[in-house]
Amino acid sequence: MTVTTAQPMAPGWKRALSDGAMIITIVYLLLYAIYASSEPSALSVFSISSLINNTAPLALAAAGATLVIICRGFDLSVAGVVSVTNVVMAVMPLEGPWGALGSLAICLAIGGFIGLINGFLVAYLKLQSIASTLGVMIVCQGVALVILDAPGGWVAEWVSYELTDVLFGFLPVSGLILLGVVGLWLLVLRSNLGLAIYAVGADETSAGLSGIATRRVRLLVYVGAGLLYACAGYMLSAQTATGNPNAGTPFIILTFAAVAIGGTSFAGGSGGLIGSMIGAATLMLLQKVLFSTGVASFYTGMFQGLILVLAILFRGSIVALATRRGSG
Amino acid sequence: MDKSKQPEAVAAWGLKKSYGATVALSGVSLAVQPGEIHALLGENGAGKSTLVRIFSGILRADDGEMSLFGQSYRPQSIAAAREAGVTTAFQELSLLPNLSVAQNLLLPKMVKGRFGLNSKAESEARARDILERFGIAHLDPRREVSSLALSDRQRLEIVRALSREPRFLILDEPTAALAEVDWVFDHVRAVAARGSSVLYISHRLGEVRELCSHATILRNGQSIDSVELSDADNDDIFRMMVGRSVFVGGQANKSAPQKTGKPVLSVEGIKSQILRDVSFVLHQGEILGVAALEGQGQQGLFRILGGVEQADEGRISRAGRIGRFKNPHDALTRGGVAFVPEERKVDGIFPGLGVTPNITISILDRLSRGGVLSAPREARTTRQVAEKVELSNRYLAFRINELSGGNQQKAILARALATGAQVLVLFDPTRGVDVGTKQTIYAAIRAFAAAGGSVLLYSSELPELVEIADRCLVIYGGRVLDELVGAEIEEQALVAGVTGHARQRQTTPERPLPLCEEAPAQ
Repeated sequence: MTVTTAQPMAPGWKRALSDGAMIITIVYLLLYAIYASSEPSALSVFSISSLINNTAPLALAAAGATLVIICRGFDLSVAGVVSVTNVVMAVMPLEGPWGALGSLAICLAIGGFIGLINGFLVAYLKLQSIASTLGVMIVCQGVALVILDAPGGWVAEWVSYELTDVLFGFLPVSGLILLGVVGLWLLVLRSNLGLAIYAVGADETSAGLSGIATRRVRLLVYVGAGLLYACAGYMLSAQTATGNPNAGTPFIILTFAAVAIGGTSFAGGSGGLIGSMIGAATLMLLQKVLFSTGVASFYTGMFQGLILVLAILFRGSIVALATRRGSG
Repeated sequence: MDKSKQPEAVAAWGLKKSYGATVALSGVSLAVQPGEIHALLGENGAGKSTLVRIFSGILRADDGEMSLFGQSYRPQSIAAAREAGVTTAFQELSLLPNLSVAQNLLLPKMVKGRFGLNSKAESEARARDILERFGIAHLDPRREVSSLALSDRQRLEIVRALSREPRFLILDEPTAALAEVDWVFDHVRAVAARGSSVLYISHRLGEVRELCSHATILRNGQSIDSVELSDADNDDIFRMMVGRSVFVGGQANKSAPQKTGKPVLSVEGIKSQILRDVSFVLHQGEILGVAALEGQGQQGLFRILGGVEQADEGRISRAGRIGRFKNPHDALTRGGVAFVPEERKVDGIFPGLGVTPNITISILDRLSRGGVLSAPREARTTRQVAEKVELSNRYLAFRINELSGGNQQKAILARALATGAQVLVLFDPTRGVDVGTKQTIYAAIRAFAAAGGSVLLYSSELPELVEIADRCLVIYGGRVLDELVGAEIEEQALVAGVTGHARQRQTTPERPLPLCEEAPAQ
């Protein structure tokens, strides 16, 4: 394991292990080893980049959902945003690199606007987050159907080729985008906003009494989530190259599964985006592993659920062990 | 109050606040001079917390005016209040458990390092400076607040308010979780010596008299009077607080020392991380007090008796049967022990639920027929126990978090009484509770003992033990250092005991732990 060699061994490695991101990284590497042993081409640039391309939309969606969950909220609008951005990309293809940038701006505007609505409903009108974002999601699904009533349309060629390509022979573009999100998150973590997200998630009243503008933090969190969902829709469009008004539906369950696997507690105040993104990657890798080992595809859901439960179970027992030893 | 001769540092005139039909404040006026430590006294529900919240910028008054150092003061947010120099240490501590000591101290803004990013190292260094300046350098700024003892969290809350160099400092029950008050007093006096004003809220009148020069008394949301404390005796103050005369203190109403009942619960050789071989016997009809400074192991002892924790060694015998309590349910059903824990907000109440279910939750199976709860039975039982603790019937329909702290505590005691347990294990049941409610709780405890029940009671306030206990154990360094019976229980003896000075009859001198709460808490 790549544990830093801190002299007081105990707290360091225990903390790392009980940190969800660490566990899921180990699980991911183990899975990859299985994948590589059953599929010799698994370590080729092509396999890796196609895996990352597959992972990117879910990883971005999970990252967005994590923001909200750290702040002790729940955001179901992910499916709506992904669907709307996907159909917009399909009915309004803008060619060339500038077109791609324009499309991205449109997607971000859509995601940011929907996030703003969510944030307003939850933070300022104090509605329950599950109920209100469910409503927003259903409206968005409806809007997607109005824009495109059946699967079809074409995503701009530049987008579907260049964004799924590999730079310099080894660097997948979608991986670069994921790294960009990770980098942004690391910056947010070192800002007062980043701290405030965790504070509000742990105890909104105390956070308010500590001088944090809790409503604004919540609003920003939903907007940030909306932007990330929009990126997810954008990358999904690049990958599928076509539009589908129901494109977002599978995201609901898998997004929250990825967050849970990645070690973010639904109780709020803990966890992080990186764990969720690796969680998403694990779910997608699992599909490949099952395929490569010859397991029929309808077993996939079963195994994904199993991994989810095992990851939580494993973390729980590690935490229990760490606290028991830690107090002795 | 005449505003002519000297400008007050802080003043309020005719503050009013209501929530719908509920009136929280119906006219509060007070004035605090620069450099004055001013006490705010009143029963729970008198409006103290509301007033604190208005001063702190959390709530806005419906009517009335405030001024701060000669200028009109009308904070729209906590940040605005801070900007104006008003800081508050809240009663229900406002710390974030998942953040570090340093982060909590500096919220909402950390120290910036390079590129405008927050610097962990510099934030911690700043926090360390603050902790040192206020004499709690034993707290590691990197530690997560959830791992701190309640007393350290209280200190941190106070230091956070102090560290912003307030012109007006508000302390709401700052000593509720502290056994040693000198530390708080020193720093509060230092703030006042700088010319800042302090509003000090405490139920401990002794502390108030020691620290404060003036006091404003609230009752039912109104300021009754502001007095100079040296001119007012306790009786005057109590009368103003409750609107009637209350007898407080002394041993006059304590029954003669009794040790007549048969043993009900005996504890032998309990050992845990902190506890070293604790043994005692609780008799029928007895109120057995436990006196200790913080962190001497009393928490663990009570939690073991309540079935919340397990002892490493030792046994509890109850009615001839020997064993240990696996969990609180086991303690209650097998041992007949009902436990009232320390932290009301965390371990005691079910905040979203009504007062009635909060009282009956331990006995639902007894109130049910065929698995269905019988509403009339529930109502009858609730009314009966509520009467024992003088919890007014009109509160029963409320949600419990809408009640004042004192009434919440009554409801929790009612829950314990409703179980029909023969033994009550009460950990600081009157913490942060006003004088009137305290008397009610004492009366309920006495009535329970008089009816043949047994009570084990820890209190952080020694006068309370003097008033109510038939017998009192002094715990120090995880051991029973001394045992006082009847008239021997008086404050000086208890103070000596809890600080490790046993009386002469102690034959073998103990090797006590140093008087540092941290050592056992680790």
